[in-house]
Parts: sequence; structure tokens; C-alpha cells
Amino acid sequence: MNQEFTIRILGELVNVTETYENMMAVYEGRESSGVVFQPRIKHWYDVNLAAGTLPERYQGMYLDEIYRDLDVTPRQVWGLEGVGSEFAGYLGLQVKEGDDVEVWVKQTHGLFYETKAHDYIITEYRTPKGTMRQVQRLTEHGTSFYNSEYYLKDLEDIEIYKYVLQERTYQWDRLRYEWGKKRFGDLIPLRASLQHSPLMWLMVRTMGFQRTVTMLWKHPKEMEELLQLLEEEFYKQIEAYRGRPVVELSFGDNMHQDMCPPPYFKKYVTPFYRRVMPKVHAQGMYATSHWDGFVKQLLPLVKETGLDGLECVTPLPQGDVTLEEMKEGMEGMFLRDGIPAVLFCPWIKLRTLEDQVRRLLEMFYPRLILGVSDLVPANADIERIRFVNRIVKEFNESL
Amino acid sequence: MSMKKQEELFDEIRGALINFDVEAAKRAALEAVQMGVTAEKVVDVMSEGMDVVGDKYQAGEYFVTELIIAGETMKEVLEVLEPYMEGEAGGKLGTAVVATVEGDLHDIGKNIFVMLITTAGFKVIDLGVDVSAERIVEAVRDSQVDILGLSALLTTNLEQFPMVVDRLKREGLRDKVKVIVGGATVTEEYAEEAGVDAYVKTALDGAEICKGWVKNIRS
Repeated sequence: MNQEFTIRILGELVNVTETYENMMAVYEGRESSGVVFQPRIKHWYDVNLAAGTLPERYQGMYLDEIYRDLDVTPRQVWGLEGVGSEFAGYLGLQVKEGDDVEVWVKQTHGLFYETKAHDYIITEYRTPKGTMRQVQRLTEHGTSFYNSEYYLKDLEDIEIYKYVLQERTYQWDRLRYEWGKKRFGDLIPLRASLQHSPLMWLMVRTMGFQRTVTMLWKHPKEMEELLQLLEEEFYKQIEAYRGRPVVELSFGDNMHQDMCPPPYFKKYVTPFYRRVMPKVHAQGMYATSHWDGFVKQLLPLVKETGLDGLECVTPLPQGDVTLEEMKEGMEGMFLRDGIPAVLFCPWIKLRTLEDQVRRLLEMFYPRLILGVSDLVPANADIERIRFVNRIVKEFNESL
Repeated sequence: MSMKKQEELFDEIRGALINFDVEAAKRAALEAVQMGVTAEKVVDVMSEGMDVVGDKYQAGEYFVTELIIAGETMKEVLEVLEPYMEGEAGGKLGTAVVATVEGDLHDIGKNIFVMLITTAGFKVIDLGVDVSAERIVEAVRDSQVDILGLSALLTTNLEQFPMVVDRLKREGLRDKVKVIVGGATVTEEYAEEAGVDAYVKTALDGAEICKGWVKNIRS
């Protein structure tokens, strides 16, 4: 795709590529000249870089250079973490804690790729109300982390967290945006993250799944207050994005029907989105949510949220939904990703991958930004990205 | 205590468990033991209540969240029954060792599976996450284990399944234990090549298979 277009971003006329224009068409619900293929390969890159198993062709390359070599649209290419971080995706806001909130971090490792089993990171928030702490363990090769202890263990920790939230503010990361704009601004519309919706933020990040369920059951009043405070954080974040050239806001969510079954979804998630989405839309932005778990029971409910699209919905054989169920549940919405990650593994027949991609293109164009659900696995055959890209190009030429 | 009164109490215990009424369940359980019912019998009655919870889950009336709450309810009642217990509660169906394999830290599915088979009557040795093949096989070797359950989500960790199976064979343990694996990225082809006895996508399917195996062994 090499045509140029001129569009207006915050009052300014800007030349953009056909890729940019085609992505805007997806957001705006228009037909386009083709589907954009924008897979997440950062995890594959990070693990293989750390393990010393990057294919020789890619050794010494930055992530966006690898995207260019594969001839696909970059995603997660620049941001807070230096090499291999994200411009077009992760948090564009810097958290600023209150003056009397101290954040202490202890970690047992040095180089992240030299981690050993049981290497951990302890983070403590020390406040006038008390101290709360989480312990995270690094995964194999140190490229990701997992909570072995969550911040919120009891009602006392909730009071401390409420204090932290009340004192917290958010700042737009101007420098990161301006750098990324020079490099990718004409290629990919700016996409920024919001944290998980309040219930999922508790379940996935701060309290843990089982404890959140038990606390909702045993202490409903205290938990309602906490959920309300978490919602107010979103209003702060959305306000911090006001006037910025963000096209898409993405809720982290990690939605899974086992963690958030339909009764919870109807009680805690839908009302939240119905309050928040008008504020997003009032700023001229679109919003997606990350649905990477089993979602068969939730898809019929998603239209009521007002979300514009879903990211990472995973069809069979890896997820629990058919493409038809996705299409029906997401009527009027757009899909980001859609190819089950496991199909990029070498033991899966190429024909299976090809059939899945062709069906996705046929069924979801024009409301599709194609990618991998959820991300290319570390032991994937990266050449399958090139293979898929050929199929996408063929499809685009047929339009 | 008359049979009628006993049955009324048992209905109260089952009903309280199914509706997650902790105080009512504790009251009825304590009344039962104080009237001469053994604590072990009360635990059996609670397991019947859990079976109903499991049926409601299967029917789509209850969800994983209700399984957790039911498990918590049962746990609180077991705490008040503990002084009256003579042996260990549960374990009548058999013993299972469960683990998330080495390199993998995902455990929600595993934890749900553990909850389901515990309330079904299995004694469960939960080894946690990131467990080496060596430690898994050691746990099988050290206990009279009927079932080994392994979980993995990351494709890079699936290779642990055939590694564990090979190790079981080398130690002469493979024929003594049924191996079931789970995880969203497991495929039928992979499970077959790995040499396991079953693979599942959901914890509930896994629990049903395990119950079926134990019934077959018994008959």
C-alpha cells in the first residue's frame, strides 16, 4: 500500500499512508481499499532475543525493522521500555502519585534475561494510611511477570489503595508521542491504553480472581465503593487524553467468562461501559476492549456496552467461539486480530492457518484489522507471518 | 434423633450450601453432630450439596464464581466440624496430583479443576505452578496416585507434557496413573503425540473424565 492521503488531525492537515487511511476506514465503518495486517510479534521477539534464538536474519534489528522485513504493519514498536516498546498501543499516560505516597521496588535480579526460577519484584506503596505490597515473579527469560502476591488482601489494604487512588494524577507523555509521531505517525493511527475496567482490574491486577469473588460476596458495600473509585480513575485518564491526537483507546480487560460470567458482566461491566463510552466518544475517540479468554457466553452481551470494537477475540481451536458466533455477537463492531496464535506453531498444518485467514477476511472485511489472537507465540514459525501477509495481499487485490 | 429429623437437617445443610448461606450451613452442621451424626457423614451430605452446585454449573445456572463461593462456604463449615472429625475429610474417590508445568505460571483453570475434583471427593495434591517434570513424577511416586493432571497455556511449555510422560515410563509409573492435560493451546494431535490419556479445554470436562475413570477402575 503506497498511496498517500491527506487528513485533518486536530485541525492540522497531515499526509498519511494508505495503511493509515484503511485503518481509519475500519474505525469509521467505511469500506477501504484493503485489510491491514498488524500482528503483535513483540513477545516472540522478546523471548527469542533473551534466549539467544532469534533467527540470524533478525539479530541486531529493532522490532520495527523486523516488521518492515516481514512487510506487515508495525504494532508495539516504541514506548517506555526502549527497544521493542509500543507507540501504537500501550499506556501513553504517566502516573503521578501523591506527594506522600512512596513507591518502593525491590528486585532480586539484574539483567532481565539472566533471571532464575523464583526471581521476583516486590513493589510497596507506603502511605500515611499504611503499606500495601505485591510480589511478581518473572516468567521464563524474564520477558513478562506474574503476580504471586496481590496488593489487595483484605479491607485494610483496600483503604490504603483508596488513598493512593485519591492522590493519583495522570500526565500525557508528550515526548514519547512526538518521537513516535516522526517515525510512525503517517503509518498508524495513535492508539493508547486505558487500564482494565474496574472489575477486571481487581481480578487480574490488584486483588486476584478468587479473592475478588470472595470479597464481592462477603463485603459487597466496601467493594462497590472501591469499584466506584476505580471508575473515577477512568474519568481522570480520559480527561488526560482530552485534546490529544489519540484515535483509539484500548481497555486492557483480559475478558474471560470464567472470571466474569454473564451475571457479573451485566452487573459490573456493562453499566461501567455505558457510563464511560459517551465520554470517550465525546472526545472523538473510539474504544476497544481486550477479550482474549473464553467469551462464548459474553459475546451476546457485548453490543450493549457501546464499545466500538474488540481486540484478541480468539476463535476455535484455541478459543471457544466460532467465527459465526463472533460475527453475530459483534454486529456493528470491528474486530482487531482474530487468527488463533496456536496456528503459527510449526506442528499445525499450514492449510489450517490458510483456511482460517481466508474465512476471517471474507467474513469480517471491512470491519477488520487483522492480527494474531493474542500474540505470536515464542516458538512460532515467524515466516508464517509472511505467509499470512501474502494471503491478505491477494484478498486486497481481489477487492 | 428420628430419621425424619435427621433428613430435615440434611436437607437444611444441602440447601444452605447450594444457596451459599454460611451461617445456616454451620448451624445445621453443628446441630447434626451434636445430635450424634458423625462429622464425616455431614461432610458426605455437604458433598451431595456440592454435586447439585456442579449440576447447576453444568446446566449454565451457576458459573465458576458460584463454584468458588460454594467452595468457600464448605470450607467455613469444615472449620467448625474439624474438632469433631476422626479422619481426613474427602479422598474417597481417589488421589490426584495436579500441577501447572515448568515455565508456566497460569493457574486459573488448574485451580478450578482442583476445586471441582476436591468437592467431587478426590484427595488433591496441588503442586502449584512452574513445576518441574522431576517434581511432578516424584509426587506421583511418593503417593498412591490415581490421576495426574497437568496444565499449560503457553505453547512453549506444552513440551513438558511428553517429558513428564517419558519420565513416568522410565520409572515404571506410567501404567499406574491416568494422565489428563488441559490448556487452551493443547490440540488433539499434540495430546496424542504426548502420550497422555485425555486432554480437555475446560476444567469441568476434566472433572467429569476423572470421575468416569475412577468409576471404571472400581467396576
